[in-house]
Amino acid sequence: MNLQFISDGPALLVQNRQNVLVIADLHFGIETDLAVHGWHFASRSNERLKRLIDSIKTNSPDLLILLGDVKHNIPETTRQEYRELPDVFEAIRDLVPFKLLPGNHDVGIGRFLQEGELLPKKGAIVDGVGYLHGHTIPSSELLGHLIVAGHHHPMVSLHDEVGCALRAPAYLLAELIENEPRIEKQNGVWKTTRVLFMPAFNEYAGFDILQITKYPFSPLSRSILTEGAEVFLTNGTYIGPASSLEDNVTT
Amino acid sequence: MSPLDRLDARVKSCVVKRGFSELSEAQVQALPYILDGHNLVLIAPTGTGKTESAMLPVFNELVSSPSEKGIRALYITPLRSLNRDILSRMKWWCHELSLSIGVRHGDTTISERRKQALSPPDLLITTPETLQALFMGKRLRKHLATVRYVIVDEIHELAGSKRGAQLAVALERLHLYAGDFQRIGLSATIGNPDEIGRFLCGARPFTIVQVPIAKDLDISVKFGGEAFKQQVKALSSMLGRKGSTLVFVNTRVTAEALGHELYERGDVEVHHGSLSKEVRIDAEERFKRGEINTLICTSSMELGIDIGRVDHVIQFGSPREVARLVQRVGRAGHQLHSTSRGTILTTGFSDLLESLVIAKRARANDIEKVVVHKNAADVLANQISAMAVEYGEIECDMVREIVERSYVFSNCADLLDTVCRQMQEHRLIRLDGTRIITTARARTYLSANLSMIHDERKVPVFDMVSRRTVGTLDESFVVGWVHTGAVFVTKGQLWRVIEIADGKLTVEPARKVQGEIPSWEGEQIPVPFTIAHEVGSIRRDRNVKDYSNDSVGIQYVEKFLDEMDKNRSIIPTDLVITLENSDEGVICNVCGGHKANEALGRVISILLSAKFGTTVGIELDAYRILLRLPSHIRASDVCDVIIGLDPAHMPGILRLALKRTALFKWKLVQIAKKFGAIDPDADYEKISVQRLLEFFDGTVVQLEAYRELLTDYMDIETAAALIRLVNQGKLTITTGRLSLIGAEGLLTSRDEIPPPTADQAVIGAVRRRLESEDVLLGCMNCRKWMSRTVVSRVPEIPQCPKCGARLIAALKPWEEQLYTIANKKKKLDEERATELRLLKNANIVLSSGKKAIIALAARGVGPENASRILATLTDGNAFYREILKAERKYIQTHRFWQ
Repeated sequence: MNLQFISDGPALLVQNRQNVLVIADLHFGIETDLAVHGWHFASRSNERLKRLIDSIKTNSPDLLILLGDVKHNIPETTRQEYRELPDVFEAIRDLVPFKLLPGNHDVGIGRFLQEGELLPKKGAIVDGVGYLHGHTIPSSELLGHLIVAGHHHPMVSLHDEVGCALRAPAYLLAELIENEPRIEKQNGVWKTTRVLFMPAFNEYAGFDILQITKYPFSPLSRSILTEGAEVFLTNGTYIGPASSLEDNVTT
Repeated sequence: MSPLDRLDARVKSCVVKRGFSELSEAQVQALPYILDGHNLVLIAPTGTGKTESAMLPVFNELVSSPSEKGIRALYITPLRSLNRDILSRMKWWCHELSLSIGVRHGDTTISERRKQALSPPDLLITTPETLQALFMGKRLRKHLATVRYVIVDEIHELAGSKRGAQLAVALERLHLYAGDFQRIGLSATIGNPDEIGRFLCGARPFTIVQVPIAKDLDISVKFGGEAFKQQVKALSSMLGRKGSTLVFVNTRVTAEALGHELYERGDVEVHHGSLSKEVRIDAEERFKRGEINTLICTSSMELGIDIGRVDHVIQFGSPREVARLVQRVGRAGHQLHSTSRGTILTTGFSDLLESLVIAKRARANDIEKVVVHKNAADVLANQISAMAVEYGEIECDMVREIVERSYVFSNCADLLDTVCRQMQEHRLIRLDGTRIITTARARTYLSANLSMIHDERKVPVFDMVSRRTVGTLDESFVVGWVHTGAVFVTKGQLWRVIEIADGKLTVEPARKVQGEIPSWEGEQIPVPFTIAHEVGSIRRDRNVKDYSNDSVGIQYVEKFLDEMDKNRSIIPTDLVITLENSDEGVICNVCGGHKANEALGRVISILLSAKFGTTVGIELDAYRILLRLPSHIRASDVCDVIIGLDPAHMPGILRLALKRTALFKWKLVQIAKKFGAIDPDADYEKISVQRLLEFFDGTVVQLEAYRELLTDYMDIETAAALIRLVNQGKLTITTGRLSLIGAEGLLTSRDEIPPPTADQAVIGAVRRRLESEDVLLGCMNCRKWMSRTVVSRVPEIPQCPKCGARLIAALKPWEEQLYTIANKKKKLDEERATELRLLKNANIVLSSGKKAIIALAARGVGPENASRILATLTDGNAFYREILKAERKYIQTHRFWQ
């Protein structure tokens, strides 16, 4: 199995028997929510969709996996979303079959989808890899596979001797804590499992990786071994262990 | 004929009744012009009866023309407290002349406002912001139709700000209702009265009346010692004399510190903007009544608030600008014809020289110009939305006609179009062909944005560990710089941001972090280039005696310069720049003034940052720029960068440098707010503000941020001119050790310039990771030595301590077994392969030394990959880029993910 890190996205191309393009956290309709919080911007849905379409065209996958939070507003679906979402899904369908792992923002997304496009919320195996939005604990069948998850929008801050030099979306790779009681085992047997947290495709989103590892805000991030967790940039560059980001003391 | 004789009998009798035996020079000169209907700018020192000069003829017209329902004269001042003061002075006159008077500003009660709406006063005293509000009410707008006079007090204070630009447009909007009205501006002494006139009147004719100040000024400069305690003692002894004293300081912190030290005297009070209104008014009243005879104050007391008799003004520390000194000293001798006496109590070498230069210029009446904000896009946006709300919908051409009548937007057609489109983007207005149409949001926006002053929210900082609030930060700092994971300093401690939510910043204590962390210190008064330059010339000519007759000060300066000579330090002057190495970085001594140094410092730092791939911290004042640099970058490196600079490229470089700074983001947020993109109470939760701000790239919002920064904060023309002199050899650069001048002084303005490409930050991070990686070294010659160490500690050419051979294999920390296997006497085929691999590994180390060990420490890099990397013969960044490439390849593959 090969993993292509596509920084122009960010997206992930998982190459096994099939080529699967994975994209997380699109958050279409975020502008309505931003306006409620005092930020007034015209909708960027068209630009976002164009980036998505371009990514599909460039990588020509056999399947697209949307890793949840395709829409943004909860609990209800806004006018902006009713207006924009059908076209978004139609544009994707024209190019490639897709599956969607519903996220916490995807309440009521089913009305925009066709049969077979919606996967279970606790995750599914596709071509040997586990996929999951990441706001829930994975189902036991995902254990022993690499799990790709969204929801956490990881970003990394790199510091040099004088101060912060770069902030960019990033991947976080961590192992699940062995025998984590929150996660149901498969026939009572634990299998070593690694989770790859994907950065958000949406251009507004971002949480610092240290916030995810040190003050985890989801059941999944609470179930990972932060020791040994590793950080990669969107082009696959290995930055180092997450712990090395914490205090840049080079003595 | 005395001008008095031209006044109506009623007004004249009031003048007599008020006890004015004669008119002041300002009044004598100004009265006839106003009576003749001229627009007028009256420039005179505080306390020369400026208000009366304007108001006597206005009263004259008001009593002699038939009364009509509506506001007939508007008196605009920049401050509420000034409004109150003017009100109490004008009440008597209005009462005597049976005219009605009112005041309207932020503090005015609702019932008072309603009364004004029903029966408007003849004379309304107000602020520029409340004038904006008047246009919002239907009834009030009608009352504006009768306005015949507009008096703008302290116009010099407004003209240089965006508030002023907004006011200039408001006057043109007023013109639409009231037709031509007479404009009268009252100003303190300034360098460009003509421009102030145009600011007030646009293209209409106007007259300037200027009452000189210099002959009435008596300014002395004293040296108060270097230590604060000494300075306090010197100040205290000066307060002992008879009469009342105003002590001006430059910051609130200094005001508090002095107040604290002098409080025991019992005759001192402190007055500054952070104190509550009650406390301030109480201090003013007690001073007026003579219960205390010293008031320590900031610029809060600069404007013409009447606080009774002031016998002496002391300026604590350099006043930084001539205009400021003249205005502050003008507070003394608040009676006609009396001399204004002031003393500057200076606090150090640069402070003393600077004060001497400023005092000399004040005596020569050589005062700075006020820089008027022309074509400020955010002001335009604000006024477009105001007009959209006022008229519901309005033709674009109409808006253009109105704003172009003002001096500040005299030619703005293109800007207007761009601004309108940007406003539509944020749904503040709608554009329909040639019409501008108001939106549901516009009125709400306008109520919250009547003012161009940035009302800063304070964001509480909550410590997660101790569960308590540890302080507050300015909103602008939070927006511009703070993000989760960021480390900053407040209250002398390091904090890391965990979360920005619910209007507060949640943090945890951070341990030591390398380098400098930006901490926001707010805005400060810049020292102009001309003054810093002249200070440089005194250092060169050592002619302090031409400036001062205070023997203590002269001696101090001479001793200071002697000490420089003794240390063999080169003295930086107007003709010499010195670059000095210090523990904290490189100090560039440049007599450029704040704004030019700011521009120069940022240009140099981004170039250094690009060249060396490191963040550069800068701190500066009018005479020096401290570049916080990693220890291996020295003065000579900075010198190379300066010498290689092309002045023509500097403005472009500066724009690039600014883009990623906290200062720029802060401005961007302020301006975006005026475009309606960000509500005043927007929360910064859950979204990456930093990324949001990128959407302003290339927009008019971004251009305005640049425009404002390049006028108000930095002076790239002067900076480029300095570099041109360097290129021509007229300004010399030398390098050396830290000198007294370099080490002196408070460095205040701070920011950091990140390296321009992400690439460098990434390589830095990877290099540090590889250097801290564990490595096993094993001798493949004697096969008897194996040692565990860290990559950074490996010597350039590793050698076996047992046999001296250089055939050393570098293994990953978990590969210890392989060494044992390779050294077995009898080997299986597989084990023989391992031995060959180790030998290959050792051969690479033999030929490439430590470089090979670094490559071998990388993720998934074995001997084959390592020799491929080394075969590229790259060094430095390129070498690490090759390693990154190999790692990326490994990480993409099967082996890694299973």
